[in-house]
Amino acid sequence: MTNTVGIGVILLYFTVLVGIGIYGAKVSLKTREDYFLAGRGLGSIAVFMALFASNITAFTIIGHAGFAYGTGYGAYGYVIGWSIFITPFTYYLVGYRSWLLGKRYGYATQPQVFGGIFNSKLVALLFLVLLLYYTLPYLVVSIIGGSLAFTTITDGVVPYWLSSLVIIAISLVYTIPAGLRGTVWTDIFQGAIFLSVACLLLMAVARALGGFSAITEQIVIENPAMLQRGLSPGIAPINWFSFAFINSIAVIVFPQMFTRILAARSSSNLKRVSLYYPLALAAIFGVSTLLGVWGSVAIPGLVGKDADNIVPMLIHQYLSPTWMILGLVVILAIVKSSIDSQLLSVTHLVTDDLLPRFKRFNSESAVFWGRILLVVFAAIAYYIALVRPAAILSIAAFAFSGFSVMLPVMIGALYWPRANKYGACAALIFPALMLHIWYLEILPKWTTFGFMPVFPAFVLAIVTLVVVSYLTPAPPPEQKEKTFGIFDRVFTGGGN
Amino acid sequence: MSFKVRLTLVALIVLIMFILHNSFWLWGLDDRVPLLFGFMPFAFSFYVGYTFLALIAMRIIIKLAWPDPPAEVLEPCRGEEPLGK
Repeated sequence: MTNTVGIGVILLYFTVLVGIGIYGAKVSLKTREDYFLAGRGLGSIAVFMALFASNITAFTIIGHAGFAYGTGYGAYGYVIGWSIFITPFTYYLVGYRSWLLGKRYGYATQPQVFGGIFNSKLVALLFLVLLLYYTLPYLVVSIIGGSLAFTTITDGVVPYWLSSLVIIAISLVYTIPAGLRGTVWTDIFQGAIFLSVACLLLMAVARALGGFSAITEQIVIENPAMLQRGLSPGIAPINWFSFAFINSIAVIVFPQMFTRILAARSSSNLKRVSLYYPLALAAIFGVSTLLGVWGSVAIPGLVGKDADNIVPMLIHQYLSPTWMILGLVVILAIVKSSIDSQLLSVTHLVTDDLLPRFKRFNSESAVFWGRILLVVFAAIAYYIALVRPAAILSIAAFAFSGFSVMLPVMIGALYWPRANKYGACAALIFPALMLHIWYLEILPKWTTFGFMPVFPAFVLAIVTLVVVSYLTPAPPPEQKEKTFGIFDRVFTGGGN
Repeated sequence: MSFKVRLTLVALIVLIMFILHNSFWLWGLDDRVPLLFGFMPFAFSFYVGYTFLALIAMRIIIKLAWPDPPAEVLEPCRGEEPLGK
């Protein structure tokens, strides 16, 4: 890591990011919509890479490879199988209708879209509180994961505290001046880097291990259980089924993903993104799965969290130091592209949906406060990442489930005219409470009927929305017309 | 074809994809199907195929139920501040 080429590559990488930030600031307008939504003018490639790079975290290369190391090839289908289809499908199901309302009424966040549909400040507030509650711990965990990976891959030369500081500071360098435009441009750059280098890394590791076929034959002989999903208790069918309700459907609820959908220029951009998204998702997780499984025979005997280091260990043991540098750039690219988007979305929510409840700002002041808040949230996240309080980490453990159980309200709001604000409030609060009760083991495990808590909580959200909406007054016709009138004109040409 | 029928077809596609993802009865083939390209066992190659199926499914859904909006629908109508502001 101390060689000149390595330092040169890292400096070049950082210089490009800083350059993007400076240029982004020059072309950005000082308006709220331009800073947080890039003027709703993102094209297909920009939206695609922005969604993809924000979607991919340190877990993809580090955690997932570690999971595949212990679980086998089944890890691929378990973690990402359903996402390959349903994540882009939710860009249609929820994303397109929300985008239409955003274009029409100027909505920029989930509290605005769903508070607007139900004409309820309470619904808006619940969305705001829940999204911040789940996103902040998730942001901290992303920083912790990325920093640990950074420290591991540099053999401890860069200590943990410095890794976190570097990751956050570089993210701020382009996010503060250029807002969403800066994060999206760096997403294109970083996404292209990590997708291409990860594929090259796979080929290099395969070559070092004797070729794709040779390493697979070795697995078949030495560890045949890796091929059989039925032999891995962690991915038993009931877990497999439940897991489909966690990460795959949660993605559209992440505020950083939702905002990027709203920032698309046209319907055609969203269509292209939804169409080709499965390929990118399958590719990056495919690489990670293969590296993890190959690692189980190349470097056997890793247990528990040690298995999460399998990719850095493979690079270290089988490839030249140049690959360590490239590996480091991949880790940085993956980690920062998700952290910057999470930081910006948290800031966006507070600037656009919380502060105006106390004081009204003009557009330029909102951008100013957004920049201040970015620094404040970055400092808070850095502090928490250093202290690592157990409470924050335990919230992060079920943050994905928390996002998922908000989805029924979002779908109900966009598809069911009879859904009302009472049903929405109840369906946001009750399942979230139950999720906590189950995860904190206040209720015995049998009450989830063997499923992961997310599945019964998801069903509860649907039932609560329907029952409470039917038991309370229907929304007034003019309120329904505001939303469903638009949809009728788009989907049925104005008729039924 | 009415939009309700189109939406029902979309729901059917989602259901088929969900059933395929949860096709536990195929797990018995994991060690019996030959390796694809010499390095992809069935548990892996199934999802390579599933990816292309997802692409086809999304293309059908786009054709069936994703019309582009008329220009006048997208004209900003921002008489009131979004809630929460």
